[in-house]
Amino acid sequence: MIQKIIEELRKMPKAVYILAVIVGIGGLTAIYRLYAGLGATTNLSKGYPWGIWISFDLSMVAFSGGAFTLAAIVYIFQKKEFHPAVYPTVLTGLVGYTSVLVILFMDLGRWDRFYHFVIFPNVHSALFEVSWCILLYSTVLVYELSPVFLKQPRFRGLNRIIKKMTIPMVIAGVTLSTLHQSSLGTLFIVMSNRLHPLWYSMILPVFFWMSSIGSGLAMVIGGSTVSYWVFGRSLNQKLVAKLGRYIPWILGVYLLAKIGELFATNELNLIFNSGKFSFLFILEMLIGVVAPTILFSLKSIRQNRIGSLLSATLVIIGVSLNRFNTSWWGMQPVEGYSYAPTVAEVVILAGVLSGVILAFTLVSRYFPVFEETDDNRVTPLVKDEIGAIAAD
Amino acid sequence: MLDSIHKGKYAFLIDASLCIDCRSCMVACSVEHNVSMTSTRIWMKGTGIMGTFPDLASHTAVFHCMHCDDPSCVSACTVGALQRNEDGIVVYDAYRCIGCRYCMYACPFEVPNMNLDEQLPLIVKCDMCEDRLNQGLEPACAATCLTEAIQFGNREEMLQQAHTRMKENPDLCDHIYGEHENGGTSTLYLSPISCDELCFPCVGTHSTAYSNRQVTETTPVVAGTTALALSGIFLAIKHFGNHKENSEDAPENTEESQS
Repeated sequence: MIQKIIEELRKMPKAVYILAVIVGIGGLTAIYRLYAGLGATTNLSKGYPWGIWISFDLSMVAFSGGAFTLAAIVYIFQKKEFHPAVYPTVLTGLVGYTSVLVILFMDLGRWDRFYHFVIFPNVHSALFEVSWCILLYSTVLVYELSPVFLKQPRFRGLNRIIKKMTIPMVIAGVTLSTLHQSSLGTLFIVMSNRLHPLWYSMILPVFFWMSSIGSGLAMVIGGSTVSYWVFGRSLNQKLVAKLGRYIPWILGVYLLAKIGELFATNELNLIFNSGKFSFLFILEMLIGVVAPTILFSLKSIRQNRIGSLLSATLVIIGVSLNRFNTSWWGMQPVEGYSYAPTVAEVVILAGVLSGVILAFTLVSRYFPVFEETDDNRVTPLVKDEIGAIAAD
Repeated sequence: MLDSIHKGKYAFLIDASLCIDCRSCMVACSVEHNVSMTSTRIWMKGTGIMGTFPDLASHTAVFHCMHCDDPSCVSACTVGALQRNEDGIVVYDAYRCIGCRYCMYACPFEVPNMNLDEQLPLIVKCDMCEDRLNQGLEPACAATCLTEAIQFGNREEMLQQAHTRMKENPDLCDHIYGEHENGGTSTLYLSPISCDELCFPCVGTHSTAYSNRQVTETTPVVAGTTALALSGIFLAIKHFGNHKENSEDAPENTEESQS
């Protein structure tokens, strides 16, 4: 048994060990953070009560939007040809949400009372809604992923029940996602005095929801090229190109809504005369919205693996810029306060991110996550056979 | 929800023209609540030194929780640790707080503070010295103030007094900070210079808690509509859409109309 484990460990790619070390360092730092308190380990202050962790959480939830978008496309709109991408995407979502929960826990001053949001609800609080939805939605993701873990014949009965209940669970999942993706935007509704008007809007929840669909699809598109390189398996490029066709529509509507909202509130002039904020806003819109809308409109880009990966990366960078702007850089400064993360904050974040990649790698190594996708590599078994034939 | 909002029973009336920046109110508050001066519930706002020698001037005013009629922090708090009680005092339940610091961003007056140096930090904010009120005493800061810049009493009386003082003293600005800010508060300010110059936050007359409720109260509607729409689309496509399975363009457009 032990020998088997050692053998398994030997077979692991080197990157797994590097990731594990980063996770380890992050974990130790996290324990120190919990012991020493926020003041000793972070640069959070009265002027900037939220820092890089919250911005990371907002971005990560948006990236994990692929899970609900794809579930809606495959199960609700019944475009079954995309089914091969469901398990990798749901797994991405699940590890993403888990990392969000871990970082949220780190971010709580009173982490010892994290369960209080269950027993002391305040229904008017957006953060209350977000925490509940994320918790429930993670359960839905586990459910959606469970067939991957239950491939053995002895689970056949259980599997059949799970398959039967899929549609109601997907509807619940998409509803919960719509709620929390948007209520992450609602978080900032109460901050009209702090958040710069280029980002502040009464329809911030709608913006957050729309951009999460964009970034979710971009994650599926970009992820397919990455998994093609790393795991040798991926969604067929024809299907990837088809998903890419949705992006200009979503981002186009998003851009119009953003500009329209600024026009309606008479704030269009702020785009150019707000100094640092103008720069951030224009950068975010050019990288994350305008450029990918143009790129994904081009057939040659959509059909090209590298082209679609780069364009999808732009969407992902743009959406995280948006989340960082909304929760950090777009906050109007308070006299006497500034914020930049400490080494400890970054190390814990790096640990959690490495954990995300590590968990994804390990699960897809031992469970048939990519089973239905195109196999692009020569499997070791085939290699052996070729070897045997050559020996003959 | 809005019907249940009442004006506060008590109020502070703080006159910046009387404040001499002695900070004894801060000491009194720190002693009364046994908190360090670094994580205060009460601090000074001021203009700094203005003008050129020899015509120098400086204005200061003490600043603490405004005790809003419709407090943003209360509507934001994840666990309901912040509540507005029947006297209009915004009180904090230290045993509920999870330390998420949402209230610190939610408050337009930037009032809630956190003792970040603690291992398990909590929010610190003015509670109008509730314990002293129960004993029939004034809040510590008002009781200590040497120049009577901090007055405390019935909100109606304080408001009346503010208006009378404004009439009697033409040096004072024609604006009571707190009368309408963030939907009205129980801390009222008189000042010889504009509140902007005193470095007070510029706050609208409409409480951000109201905007917050406008959005969060639609949650059940959004949830219901989404779930129904999804079920409807699923059933419609299942029953009518099967023959379209192979044509690519038509279903894509239906997808778009959703987003």
